[in-house]
Amino acid sequence: MSEHGTTPRSEGPSLLHAPSPDFAPSLAQTEGAPERSRSTGLQEREEAGTARPWRTVVWNDPINLMSYVVFVLQRYFGYSREHADVLMRRIHHEGRAIVSQGSRERVESDVQAMHSFGLHATMEQEGED
Amino acid sequence: MAHAFRPRADGSFACRLEGEEKAVIVQVAQEVSDLVRLDLAVTEDSLAVRRAAASDDPLERLEAQFATHEAREPGDPAVRRLFPEASPDEALAAEFRRFGQQDLVAIKLEDLAALCESIDRTGPGTTEVSLTEDEAMHWLRALTTLRTVVADRLGVERDGDFETVRMLQQIGERVPEAAEGEDESSETAGGDVMIAIYELLSWLQESLIRVLEPF
Repeated sequence: MSEHGTTPRSEGPSLLHAPSPDFAPSLAQTEGAPERSRSTGLQEREEAGTARPWRTVVWNDPINLMSYVVFVLQRYFGYSREHADVLMRRIHHEGRAIVSQGSRERVESDVQAMHSFGLHATMEQEGED
Repeated sequence: MAHAFRPRADGSFACRLEGEEKAVIVQVAQEVSDLVRLDLAVTEDSLAVRRAAASDDPLERLEAQFATHEAREPGDPAVRRLFPEASPDEALAAEFRRFGQQDLVAIKLEDLAALCESIDRTGPGTTEVSLTEDEAMHWLRALTTLRTVVADRLGVERDGDFETVRMLQQIGERVPEAAEGEDESSETAGGDVMIAIYELLSWLQESLIRVLEPF
């Protein structure tokens, strides 16, 4: 993942001009965002019944911004900021993290959604690794 | 010079972009859109199938269901990054591609089209670019798509590679063309421009994430 761009300036890099000095962002909107936490996928174990559950794995990549990965995990899965942050750091430091689990159908749509956001996700069945 | 996104009272998000910045973003988006269409042999028919699948007309949905699922494997390395294997199991990955890739292509092309449309409607020169929340989500995904392709052309393979590429550029060295997987070495000729574009796209995306609420 890339930390590049994690401290946005009020004025962006221009293709035409030399970079400007950093400015403090005028509007800090990210603090105090409402959080709606949801169970982190353990409940999906039950719907998978006795079969080995499937898992959605997100892999580290050098392009996606850390803030974007956190945003996507919150937005799509409804995870709290804290939980999404833990998962993002696991992806970044360990190279991969399981972000959801459940039935094959559920994991297929999760993987598809991750791909639509440009995250590299794969599906696997518990006990495969 | 670009100005960061900020939320407006009406719920939209606005940034200010120079004419040249708008032009280069639209140009890169069109090139990436063309690259995806060409590499995956996307036709208007295949996009129409997806629209039919989401149609209110049950007959159209039925037709879409029986339409042939074609999913060409990406050939271009950047397109491979956009449509990665969904499993190390080849059969599973192929099946996933067969049933999911067409939708994914349509989503990514719609994102790019929405990005271009919201810039095009502002006209020429330096202007505000204003986005609804829906458009902002298209932008987030489209910016990811563009950054992925530009990063591939810059030879970014691992964490920290972009910083290395930029540093090499800053000290006036050529990017080593022997780097692993670097078979589009001619692309490094425009490296300075590509680096500037990547930085602009990254900065815009970060700026947009800061003003968007995830829920």
